[in-house]
Amino acid sequence: MAFLRRLASRLVQTAAVVLVVTFVTYWMLSLLPSDPCFLSVGTGATEELLAECRERLELDRGLFAQYGAWLGNMLTGDLGESYRNGIQVTESLRDKVPVTAWLILYTTVLSVIVSIPLGMLSAVRRDTWVDRLITGGAFSLLALPSFVLGVVLALIFAAKLGWFDLGGYVSPTAGLLAHWKSLVLPVATLTAGIMPFFLRLLRSDVITTLQEDYVEAARAKGLPRWWILLRHVLRPSSFTVVTVAGLNAAQLINGALVVEIIFDLDGMGTYLISAVFNQDFLVVQTLVALIAAAFVATNMLVDATYPLLDPRVRVRNR
Amino acid sequence: MKVPAIPGRDSLAILRGRETRGRGAGRRRLAEQPLGFWLAAIWLAALVFFVLFAPVLGFLADPDGYSRNVLQGVGRSHWFGTDELGRDMFARVIWGGRLSLLIAAIAVAVGILVGGLMGLLAGFFGGWVDTALSAVINILLSLPALILALFIVTVLEQNTRNVIIAVTILAARAVARIVRAQTLRFREREFVTAARCMGARTSRLLFREVLPNLVPIVVAFTFLGLGLVIVGEGGLSFIGKSVPSPAITWGGILAVAKGKLADAPHLTIYPAIVMFCTLMAVNYIGDTLMRRFDVRQSLI
Repeated sequence: MAFLRRLASRLVQTAAVVLVVTFVTYWMLSLLPSDPCFLSVGTGATEELLAECRERLELDRGLFAQYGAWLGNMLTGDLGESYRNGIQVTESLRDKVPVTAWLILYTTVLSVIVSIPLGMLSAVRRDTWVDRLITGGAFSLLALPSFVLGVVLALIFAAKLGWFDLGGYVSPTAGLLAHWKSLVLPVATLTAGIMPFFLRLLRSDVITTLQEDYVEAARAKGLPRWWILLRHVLRPSSFTVVTVAGLNAAQLINGALVVEIIFDLDGMGTYLISAVFNQDFLVVQTLVALIAAAFVATNMLVDATYPLLDPRVRVRNR
Repeated sequence: MKVPAIPGRDSLAILRGRETRGRGAGRRRLAEQPLGFWLAAIWLAALVFFVLFAPVLGFLADPDGYSRNVLQGVGRSHWFGTDELGRDMFARVIWGGRLSLLIAAIAVAVGILVGGLMGLLAGFFGGWVDTALSAVINILLSLPALILALFIVTVLEQNTRNVIIAVTILAARAVARIVRAQTLRFREREFVTAARCMGARTSRLLFREVLPNLVPIVVAFTFLGLGLVIVGEGGLSFIGKSVPSPAITWGGILAVAKGKLADAPHLTIYPAIVMFCTLMAVNYIGDTLMRRFDVRQSLI
């Protein structure tokens, strides 16, 4: 019951934040001196054509009415069309969302897979050279922003060694192997950016857990070391990993923006950037709204489901 | 009758939550720092030296000076080689760093002022002040950093001032969150209650009791914030939405070099190394300080 109430209040909060964010972005973009009709009609614009277009886009209505109409359309799944080329945004997104989604999914999975053994190892071997090597390595990765690491990886593995080509994204339907090959370097770049966060958190979590009485008890019972680590230590810590993984997945859109440019992937990031450069503000508005909604919603979901996953929090909250 | 001794300065300071330090303690603390701390400090000092004195150092004077040595590798006359127009890459990295670091310094300073004040007021007063300020902070936090910066530059028009505004917001939102959490911790402490009972005015409570305790974390954040802003601006300029050309920052240098990966790797490698070392240095110092002050959120 308490959980449901918490969830409901979080939902309301989230909805409020998304509403305000989308409204503020809508309002700010509407202040720009650019005329979407000018873009839409093109160079041969006559007054009648422009007037007709303004009529069609309902630009003469007030800000709130325009925003309301836009929001209504968004909620019913009509994301509008680009002023620039008249292509439906939903149409464009159909090809682009999978690219970014695969990037984020692979990165999250890989980061979890890599950080669990490394994090546990450095916690168990705390303050030895193994630990220092792992934590030091992770720390150095944090000093490599995606646009530095991405370019360097492209230089080494594509330009010099020729293991990968920078030919862009291959969809899984065109062959899984080619699909993976096209995403290896981008995913590696993104993983390097978030894996250290996973690792650090897991390490400190495991160090705390190792000092718990029940771990001591398990050891006293003579259970094998790997069993203790797996069942008694990793299990409670896995909630932490799930949480950071969830929170970071949304944050990954940052890196995706950069990585998609470096590796020529035609995803949400490149779409957003090209819309910015083309002053295609409806597309910018829509994408920013979608990203904000996804970002805030993921944060909320992770936060709200945490007690469901971890019985200890559930009990404490009662 | 014996008058009870008035607590001396030191015990008052302890009451306020500040540590008392004997003379020379500061020096001892510095000497205790690990080697990495010194390496980081030396790197930053050297970088700041080059960046500050770039106009006076003869060989660095002109990042746009063309020469006939096009795309030359690393050599004695060109430490980082030259680019396709024969410009000295070392000079470009230093001059790019000049702008990158200037932007970062301004953004972090203003960000700490604005975000710090927001966090302080929100955390201290609670109630509707907190609700209102937290709403603003949460809204600013509701977009990934690069998207937010990109959006601000798009809306405001692309120039150096607006880039600074965009990255300042990135710094401010982070400071606001940290300072608010810390203020919440301190406002319930005995020394604040004691001061309040003695009839101290709100401004005194805020600026003389709570604020001094926030100094360590803000100092630590200064370094982490520099990293945050350098990366933020770098990302913006990498996607071509930062300072307008011909001005250049580190991100811009890498963006240009990306086009010539195969023929001229030195255009990428050296700027990347300089950027890596700089970020490593600020992160390391910031993280060491954060851990020293025992703040959970090290490396936000």
